[in-house]
Amino acid sequence: MKKLLAIGIFTVISIYGYSQKQVIDSLKEVIGNHEGKLNALDDRVLVNEGDLAKLNKIKVSGYIQAQWESYGADLEKTNGYSNTFYIRRARIKFTYEAADGVKFVLQPDFSTGNLALKDAYTVVNLPKLKNLTLWVGQMNRPNYDVEYSSSSRELLERARVTTTIYPGEREIGAKLEYNGIKIPVLLQVMMMNGNFTGTQAKDVDSRKDVMARFVYSVKLPAAGVGIDFGANHYFGSNLAKTNKYVKNSDGTLDSLNNAWRYLDKHWTGGEIRIYADVLGGMSIKGEYVAGINSVASTVASTATMAQKKASPNLYNNFAGCYITLVKNIGAKNQAVVRYDYYDPNTKLSGDAAGNAIYYKTWAFAWQYYLNDNIRLTAQYTMPKNETNASNPSDIKDNLFTIRVQAKF
Amino acid sequence: MKHIKIFSIMLILAVMASATAFSQSKITVKGSDTMVILAQRWAELYMKNNPQTTIQVTGGGSGVGITALINGTTDICNASRPMKQTEIEKLKARYNTLGVEIPCAKDGVTIFLNEANKVTELTLKQISDIYTAKIRNWKELGGVDAEIRLYGRENSSGTYTYLHDEVVKADYASTVQSLPGTAAVVNAVKKDVNGIGYGGAAYAVGVKYAKVKKDESSTGYVPSAETIANNQYPITRYLYMYLRNRPTGETKKYIDWILGVEGQRVVTEIGYFPVK
Repeated sequence: MKKLLAIGIFTVISIYGYSQKQVIDSLKEVIGNHEGKLNALDDRVLVNEGDLAKLNKIKVSGYIQAQWESYGADLEKTNGYSNTFYIRRARIKFTYEAADGVKFVLQPDFSTGNLALKDAYTVVNLPKLKNLTLWVGQMNRPNYDVEYSSSSRELLERARVTTTIYPGEREIGAKLEYNGIKIPVLLQVMMMNGNFTGTQAKDVDSRKDVMARFVYSVKLPAAGVGIDFGANHYFGSNLAKTNKYVKNSDGTLDSLNNAWRYLDKHWTGGEIRIYADVLGGMSIKGEYVAGINSVASTVASTATMAQKKASPNLYNNFAGCYITLVKNIGAKNQAVVRYDYYDPNTKLSGDAAGNAIYYKTWAFAWQYYLNDNIRLTAQYTMPKNETNASNPSDIKDNLFTIRVQAKF
Repeated sequence: MKHIKIFSIMLILAVMASATAFSQSKITVKGSDTMVILAQRWAELYMKNNPQTTIQVTGGGSGVGITALINGTTDICNASRPMKQTEIEKLKARYNTLGVEIPCAKDGVTIFLNEANKVTELTLKQISDIYTAKIRNWKELGGVDAEIRLYGRENSSGTYTYLHDEVVKADYASTVQSLPGTAAVVNAVKKDVNGIGYGGAAYAVGVKYAKVKKDESSTGYVPSAETIANNQYPITRYLYMYLRNRPTGETKKYIDWILGVEGQRVVTEIGYFPVK
């Protein structure tokens, strides 16, 4: 009887143990399956994280500037209308940070009737030279007024001198830039095709233009003041392909030995910006530039001597400057006043200047920042031109603009 | 005459706008996650003694705080790294000031190790090699034969940027697990025997500090009041508050209090180190 009981208990225990082992095995199997699934999930997360990291390297920003303009009487006659709505700029900027210190930038402009490539360049931090970058492609020329983004600029357009000597702002070339951290200095040297206006893909002559800029920054934290000052120089040339006659700034006519000669263009600029924390931010920004610009004649090489003398290459001694006062009023408002001056030919004045007359322009603007993305601007621009026989009175070309800028 | 009229209108508008601009009743503080517990403690104590003032503190990282300062959505930005030149340029463009930098505490960027880890000391180069995955196994540092698991911060973090710029000096390895906040980094290292992380000194509970030395021949130090004060600890940094303009009114009063005896006592209580 005892034996039977022992066998029975042993059998029950064995069966129970066996079933327990089965349960454990089954649990192990389930855990194994889940572990496999978790590992697979982990791998998928890692892959997704990698993909997301790639996407994080792409930054998209942009802005649209829509405005209404109202013109002075003479501008109305020229245009045929007194006011208009207008999309001034509609840009999207794509920046891809491929690796630490390597960046690709592409910025098209989609404003109505003006699809254009504005920026297309690569920036590379030179190895072991942390603050030195190499820029290659189509980019802004190294000048403060040029490089200061249209989306941030306090006035709607750049000063007349800037838009004249740097048409289209961009150039195709290579730039070295040193941005000091311990020594607050900015050095820029750019070699470029020269004469770029936004359309020609390649250079029009063999010589390259060179521009260099130096800016030093001083901080006086106790006074809440910062001063940036510097200088820049442009050294370049234009090729006189078809005409050997050159009209100098003073109106005299010279002759090169023959056509296919280079005409100099070079100028020097000085710049200063003072930022002061006086009941809110305030800045005074100024730049002066003077030098010689040249324009190559477009007369046909087969033209007669008389025709060539009538349309010679041109040398112009020019000078220009601007001074801008910006005052922040609270966090949302900004008042701006700018005076700018540009004389395309400093050697001639009065009737002798013909149409190369100087302009003195006052611009007043008020900006209201609705939020991080929207800015409203009202600006009144009053250009005043030199008067002479060719331009007997001040041209009525004042301009009132209201602009809405949406930026993201 | 016409010019004078326009100028007069602008002047009146300017005066009206400035009158509305200076009526401040609430102070918003945004930025560094490293500083968030410190900033919250400051705010609590200050509001207790100054009930008329409301101080709203949020984290998000130094980068987030600086962006908020530029966008005008915060009054004070907390940052565990200095502002970059590009960020200052944005402030100049938008507000025509260089911003105001106020160092308000000192910190040692702490390297966290699991308490069971045999490794106790690291050079700056080793830390760089670990976070760039040139060193992948604890065995290479005198520890057990196990893969090093890397924990770090998101790229909006000032500590991420500071360690990158001052120590790592190259791209972080893709195997670094980015975590939202120093507390999360500490928690991960606490649970992971083979983990390593970094962050502000105030968060190191349940993990051990690695001694850090400049190079093989130097002495290793852990961040302490003494080693931070005399700059012996090699990864010592300031913690900053940034403002768009020089502080006035209640904001000035609050900042003066932070830099005073009581505010700096809070710095020590939380686990950071006073500026003076």
